[in-house]
Amino acid sequence: MTRAGLILNELKAHGVTHVVGLPDNTSARLFALLENDPDVRLVQVTREGEAFALAAGLWVGGKKPVVLAQNTGLFESGDAIRGTLLRMRIPVVCLITYRGYAKLIANRKVASSERLSAEDLSRPDLDSAALFTESTLSAWSIPYEIVHDDADTPMIARAFALSEEESRTVAVLISGVLQ
Amino acid sequence: MLTKRELLEPLARLRGDAVVVNCMSVVRPWGKYSASDLDLASADSAMGHTADFALGIALAQPLRRVICLNGDGSMLMTLGTLATAVQAGAGNYILFVVQNETYEITGNQPVPGAGRLDFALLARGCGFKSVFSFDDARSYEGGLPSILAARGPVCVAVRVDAGSEGPISFSPREEAHYLKTSLAETAWRLRRALAAPLEP
Repeated sequence: MTRAGLILNELKAHGVTHVVGLPDNTSARLFALLENDPDVRLVQVTREGEAFALAAGLWVGGKKPVVLAQNTGLFESGDAIRGTLLRMRIPVVCLITYRGYAKLIANRKVASSERLSAEDLSRPDLDSAALFTESTLSAWSIPYEIVHDDADTPMIARAFALSEEESRTVAVLISGVLQ
Repeated sequence: MLTKRELLEPLARLRGDAVVVNCMSVVRPWGKYSASDLDLASADSAMGHTADFALGIALAQPLRRVICLNGDGSMLMTLGTLATAVQAGAGNYILFVVQNETYEITGNQPVPGAGRLDFALLARGCGFKSVFSFDDARSYEGGLPSILAARGPVCVAVRVDAGSEGPISFSPREEAHYLKTSLAETAWRLRRALAAPLEP
């Protein structure tokens, strides 16, 4: 279990000014906390690609944003990430909720296949959103950490450190529903 | 219809300390009238993400006007940003939709809805505080001071002649000042420029 409050505390500890994104079932608790938070401003967008470009603009304007989106939104955002955060070399941390992670672990053997069959991609006991998440981040040269529970929240600090050190976009995958 | 010169030259004269972010067919023409460090060309970048990128700057810099010169083809890709700008209360955001009705960079293929699209109506429907439409140079130039003083978010739909701009890249061979270095360098330069306090 990961508590949303711990994640919010990590964001504040790293001077985050804005969280830009869309809620999903996993992140709903964090969104609820942000809606009433006096220190970090929540900017809700209509589509995830918008979130990454808007975060790039916030950073150019002198702020320290993070993006919060589901892995499905990550896929939708490919060119926004490439054309803004990556091309502008902007140090932003992106919190990506890992839809389908539990099914992925339950089917680890299939998931680790080099080439998935059409049947695997349509199996009801596997979520293709989870299947493609880490390989997509790797393909886009975005380093990532994974937070499974409270004990992993220091991974967020590691992501911020790497992002600042190398002036690059770094992702933090959140595998479970935030409480 | 306005020419690009009729659109851009008066704006360059009156923009003051506003940030100007642009894309596509106005990138090179704007470079003829401005050499400001507060300019950024969202070129060789993510098509359709100029309006949301500029909105981010506006939210970060609420005391400074941020002008986005977006194309109609680009605007169609992120219409949701019209709603986001209003929801975020971006009172300093001035969004121009430069309607040449084509994808000029790729050879002037018509955009979907060419001749029918009403971006002013879309902006009003999303709740923009101030909305302007122009299709002649005289009324546009006369209205420009009002645009720059209007309560935002502001949307300005302007019909312009399609030209013959080709693909844009960041290269020392480009004439426009903001195309001579990489997109990363111009973004970081703009961030440094915005770190300086506004002059009273």
